[in-house]
Amino acid sequence: QTQVKGVVTDENGMALPGVNILEKGTSNGVYTDFDGNYVITVKDNATLVFSYLGFVTQETAVSGRVSINVTLVESLESLDEVVVIGYGSQLKEDLSGSVSTIDTEALNNLPQVSVDQLMQGRASGVSITQNSGQPGSAVSVRIRGVNTISGSAEPLYIIDGVPISGDSNNISTSGRSIADNDLGQGDGATGVSPLAALNPSDIESINILKDASATAIYGSRGANGVVIITTKSGKNKKGTLRYNTYLAIQRPTNFYEVMDLSQYARLQNEMAEIYGLNPQIEFLNPSLLGPGTNWQQEIFDDAVMQSHEVSFSGGSEDVNYFLSAGYLDQDGTVIGSGFDRINVRANVGANITDKIKVGANLTASRTNDKLTLNNATNGIIYLSLLNNPATAVYNPDGSFAGPDLDDDFKFENPIARALSLSNRLERNRFFGNIFAELKLGKNLTYRTEFGGDFGNNVSDRFQPTFSYGEITGGESALSVRRENNDFWILKNILTFQKKFNNKHDVTVMLGQEAQESKWQGVIASDGEFVSNDVPILGTGNAIDNTDQYKGSTALSSYFGRAIYSFDNKYNITASIRADGSSKFAEGNKWGYFPSVSASWRLSNESFMDDFDAIQNIKIYGGYGEVGNQAIPNFAYGARLNTVSTGLGTGFEFANFANEDLKWESSTQTNLGLDFSVFDSRLNATVEVYNKVSKDFLYQLAVTDFITGGNSPGAIAAPWVNLGEMVNKGIDVTLNYKTKGSQDFSWNSSLTFSHYKNEVKELLGDLTIFGEMTMNTSNQNVTITQVGQPIGLFYGYKVEGIFRTLDDINGAPVQFGRPFEDALFSTTWLGDIKFKDINGDGVVNTDDRTVIGNPHPDFTFGFQNSFNYKNFDLSIFMQGSYGNDVFNAVNRSLTAGNQTYTNQLPSVLDYWSVDNPNASNPRLARNDTPNINISDRYIEDGSYLRIQNVTLGYTLPSDATSTFGINRLRVYGMIQNLYTFTKYSGYDPEIGVYNQNALLMGVDNGRYPTPRIFTLGLNVEF
Amino acid sequence: DDFLDRPPEDSYNVAEFYETTEQVNAATNALYVRPWYNFVTNVSWCIGELSSGNGRTWDPRNADFVNFAITGEHGTLTQAWESLYAVVAQANAVINTLPDAAGPSVPQDVVDNAVGEARFIRASAYFYLVRIFGPIPIIADNNEYVLEPVVPRNPESDVYEFIKRDLQFAVDNCYEKIRGANYDANAKVSSGSAKAMLAKVYLYEQNYPMAYQLASEVINSGEFKLYGGDAEDGDPSGSYYDLFLTANDNNPESIFALQWTNTGIYAEGNGVQSLFAPAGVTGFSDGWSAIGPSIDLQEAYEDTEQDLRYYATIMAPGAFYPDLNGGYTVSETIDHQGCNVGVKKYVIGSAASNGGGASQSYPNNTYVLRYGELLLIHAEAALNGGGSVAEGINSFNKIRRRAGLDEIANPTLEDVFKERRIELAFEMEFWYDVVRQGPDFALNFLSNTERGTFNDDTSPPTINSETFPASMDDLLFPYPSNEIQNNPALLEAPVPYEFE
Repeated sequence: QTQVKGVVTDENGMALPGVNILEKGTSNGVYTDFDGNYVITVKDNATLVFSYLGFVTQETAVSGRVSINVTLVESLESLDEVVVIGYGSQLKEDLSGSVSTIDTEALNNLPQVSVDQLMQGRASGVSITQNSGQPGSAVSVRIRGVNTISGSAEPLYIIDGVPISGDSNNISTSGRSIADNDLGQGDGATGVSPLAALNPSDIESINILKDASATAIYGSRGANGVVIITTKSGKNKKGTLRYNTYLAIQRPTNFYEVMDLSQYARLQNEMAEIYGLNPQIEFLNPSLLGPGTNWQQEIFDDAVMQSHEVSFSGGSEDVNYFLSAGYLDQDGTVIGSGFDRINVRANVGANITDKIKVGANLTASRTNDKLTLNNATNGIIYLSLLNNPATAVYNPDGSFAGPDLDDDFKFENPIARALSLSNRLERNRFFGNIFAELKLGKNLTYRTEFGGDFGNNVSDRFQPTFSYGEITGGESALSVRRENNDFWILKNILTFQKKFNNKHDVTVMLGQEAQESKWQGVIASDGEFVSNDVPILGTGNAIDNTDQYKGSTALSSYFGRAIYSFDNKYNITASIRADGSSKFAEGNKWGYFPSVSASWRLSNESFMDDFDAIQNIKIYGGYGEVGNQAIPNFAYGARLNTVSTGLGTGFEFANFANEDLKWESSTQTNLGLDFSVFDSRLNATVEVYNKVSKDFLYQLAVTDFITGGNSPGAIAAPWVNLGEMVNKGIDVTLNYKTKGSQDFSWNSSLTFSHYKNEVKELLGDLTIFGEMTMNTSNQNVTITQVGQPIGLFYGYKVEGIFRTLDDINGAPVQFGRPFEDALFSTTWLGDIKFKDINGDGVVNTDDRTVIGNPHPDFTFGFQNSFNYKNFDLSIFMQGSYGNDVFNAVNRSLTAGNQTYTNQLPSVLDYWSVDNPNASNPRLARNDTPNINISDRYIEDGSYLRIQNVTLGYTLPSDATSTFGINRLRVYGMIQNLYTFTKYSGYDPEIGVYNQNALLMGVDNGRYPTPRIFTLGLNVEF
Repeated sequence: DDFLDRPPEDSYNVAEFYETTEQVNAATNALYVRPWYNFVTNVSWCIGELSSGNGRTWDPRNADFVNFAITGEHGTLTQAWESLYAVVAQANAVINTLPDAAGPSVPQDVVDNAVGEARFIRASAYFYLVRIFGPIPIIADNNEYVLEPVVPRNPESDVYEFIKRDLQFAVDNCYEKIRGANYDANAKVSSGSAKAMLAKVYLYEQNYPMAYQLASEVINSGEFKLYGGDAEDGDPSGSYYDLFLTANDNNPESIFALQWTNTGIYAEGNGVQSLFAPAGVTGFSDGWSAIGPSIDLQEAYEDTEQDLRYYATIMAPGAFYPDLNGGYTVSETIDHQGCNVGVKKYVIGSAASNGGGASQSYPNNTYVLRYGELLLIHAEAALNGGGSVAEGINSFNKIRRRAGLDEIANPTLEDVFKERRIELAFEMEFWYDVVRQGPDFALNFLSNTERGTFNDDTSPPTINSETFPASMDDLLFPYPSNEIQNNPALLEAPVPYEFE
């Protein structure tokens, strides 16, 4: 027996606490202490095994020494060796489906507010766009193209075994967005992120299941892909305390250049002359006027964000724990918006006996959203652009100012609107799971798990009385919403695993699952309060209205999977799931979702032994079928809505029934190749896929004369199964790491994704239009038809401006308007000349055509991490190429058809007899076709964004350890540093309007993503 | 598997409704209200009053109705299409569901009456649609077309035939009524209501004998009374002015009126006064004075003092309304849209003084047809040779006398036209009266209607004249562009409707 001691460090000389040192072949072991020291008594001829998570395990023979210092080398394949798949995990090398893993560095060193933002650009085939820069707002996540035409194409999230939908519109449950979206006409983009409750710092790993052979085990909810999020658990015996904090300044990146007061005055004067209106006296001499109110400067401001979080983790042989608490407070760059979150988490695992293991992962959070209306014509941003610079923000007495015009065109003071209208959403949420695992034998494990997601949402919207100049709001109005959502899931899983003859490895899993989602809510309103100070239900003079809603859905499932691998060379996996859903009528309730996949580790073949140039070659492929059932309950039957009438209670038909409604299905074939070169330092993954989605669940409103369109009392269109769509694509991931033993290391990851979407079939000759409200009228903005990608921009093509009488001679009549020199109902010099697409000699609605494509040719992400001694530098770029954007903001800002409305300065270069070469059409009246949806408003939305640059410095451990600090890192970070783009709007990252697959890339005054300067600190004790 | 059976918990399931007489009686209630909202509140007056030249506006969107600049892109016009077809859709749902779904305990006559009401209301919606848009698709069962976007339009004559069949069914199956002092009992349409509406439809078809005969039957039935009339069919307890007070909703003159409620919920109440009223009258921020009575209309009154309808229709400067909000004096400077007057008809004042409601949602009824108009239909049919001229003149002069005007011994058709204009001003009807005179008359009339403003800088005010030339195309309104895209068959020739 001899006593050995020493220090364990990493390649940078940093002490490693908690390293497991085992005398080989025995159960004799110790852990290093805080400073990496260990003492162990072993046999003289013993071999010591040093193991530590994320490092290469090292063995050293004692050989009579009494002092052994060890440097552990970081494992190149570090944490991703084991990949979490549905209802289990699998060695990465055996994997035969398509699974992307987000690298842990991104998780640990780059703080983000929300997990969906964190995934952006980091996994190939996963396209993530922020639909709004409003704090807490929803993002759209598209895994391998667009898979459905119904409301939600968002993936399913599995957080510690609890499924959470990414759909902010709650189509499949209450049918109501959590946020009160009754902010104004057109509603705008008001989706809040369903994932906001989760603190990204609590996340251990994110695995994204992309192909159907991987997601089929989630059956009916796997069609849009599955994101499996696992939160942290305690690991080391030694307890660790971490404190992370940051302070950030968010700053708007750019502004539109709209007219200042003197330009505006000039435009008003010239319009008044053309329209024959009385001139405005105050504008008689525009050159004497100052710049006026810059509304954008007024609504945008620097905003502060701060975050604090504390976590404790540790464990012993039989118990491990991870506890954390976090606080985040984020103001928005648009005045009046903001988000904050408080969350606590407790993850605990314990071995009760050597046969029984139990655990729980629980989190509770409260988030508060301060919502403003954006992405709508009467949203704050739009109002700031269109508002008259002659109007002040405040009156001399400090009250909000407004226009004093005797005209119907008045824009509300956006500052007043943002600051006086309050729309608060408080979300309280408790979710997590508790499980027990029983070893029923050497090879058989039984696991039972209960998960829940319980939410309580409190939404209060109050519109006080106001008076801004000529605009007055006589009544105050309060709308209050109280909503509860209860979800539970119960799973029972049997897993059999056995290795035969050291070559045959078999894993069989059988499971059963039941889940139920219930919701209930009450919306109540009151108004006409005596004052604006205490808006409480029941105290106002207005009639109190209430609306109650409730309902539930259920899913019952059975599933199984068998994995067989032979000699680490061949792997075959097959799974099947049966789902019974409450969404469908008797006879259509059950859906069956099989999959099969296989992989071949070419590098493990003996004939490859001498081939070193390329390592880790794996070829794999799979096929699977998944489903989608994200529709409201009882969509198959007809309901009656209750309404009040002067005759007593009345009943309206709510919807058209469709008894034949059945599962939407998606089949996908995936082929992949993994290989490494340069001693496994460069890893590459190339995957191609072909995904066929069909029988879409779609609420088919063919014509307004059947349903009543948007009218009150209209009958909601029926949900039907229709069509077929194909997404074909290629995903490439390249990863490079330098050898980790030098002072300098570099880790780089490039992701590249391309998909091609094509609609193969719709019902008959059906074309589907993507409709949205712009400037108070409903407009078809996109078209979806067979043979084309989904949601192409649709409108007229512009040939130019009618500049001379020669241009008019023989030109096709435009919209039935005679060529005549008049302000109304005619086409005349200076008007836009639209193209006669079908060549029938006239321009009318038949001449609309495809004018743009919102789908990118490819998207990419490029992550680089550099380490030099104690410095770390991370640079992350991402972007999109080849996608078009419909710039609805520009349409309003160049309309040139209304007085009292601000415009871009280019509008002053309007056509007139004196300015025949003008860039803009003539100033016309309201009804002008010049503003028809056309390719004038389509722009190239390609961009390359330097998304994140982080520079960190970790203090040397000998300097910090005297204070008991294990690790201390300070960093500075700039997010959204710069965007290279030709797009003229605020921000080319437009996203998907309210997660509606038909409205991709439409900029209707989107809340721009700010630039964020962050200073942060990580401390570990 | 019960676990997977999740019926709706917050609404009725159609398959389990209509089990009782009460449920069947309530089945038609909604047809009198919500689906009509967008049409009545936002469009009907734009067509009926703005386009016809009874009113004018500066608001550029609504001005498109004044200056014949409406296109298929016009959001307001689209609301007419959607709203009226929503009425059709809801009516069809009742018509096609009730006969099979009604429970065995519900008497057949209850079912027949409800279906009759629904067919009456469907006919009324189609009557507006055909007058506004011309040839349109006739939809009798929406379920047949739910998956079929391309539906041909049907010729106007078939739409009229369809309307007449519906109304005839209502004549045969709705309850017969006598409109009494219990106004609530008068609220729903009756067999007599259907007869009256049918008379109006025949008038549009220029089938004067039928129009006359049906109008005569309605008059002779004694079901309705002229509110404030002095003849045997008069009800001396009311007056022309009283017709438009919320308290008098469903008075005996009412033949078919929309039955708005006082909940204040959007679209359950009447939004018309929000647009007609001067600021401050409603007690809310609405009262947008969106339309001004045109100079042309003002000049069409024979005598604004003697004609009692002027005070009930138009707010003149300084006029006093004792019942409005407990006493309301019109501003001396009232000037809706440059017309130097405002609108009174359908302006009923605050919620507190009118039994409830809230901004854009008030409880007062909207007339679709009332007995006063039926008398003028009777007169017009008679003067066109449809029946006894003496009887027709008698009906005509009942209206004159109630208005406080002198009788006209031998009225002409032009007199009837003028009388209709004044009698029904701001009841959203005049456009159809102009257009049905035929294009020669209509184009001349519309192109020469004074739609200008008063220039108050001079004393007395002078007129800044504005007229807009109308063309043949302007006599029908365009289909919404989006609908043409959805259903290109709207651009093709109408196809005859296959009647059962």
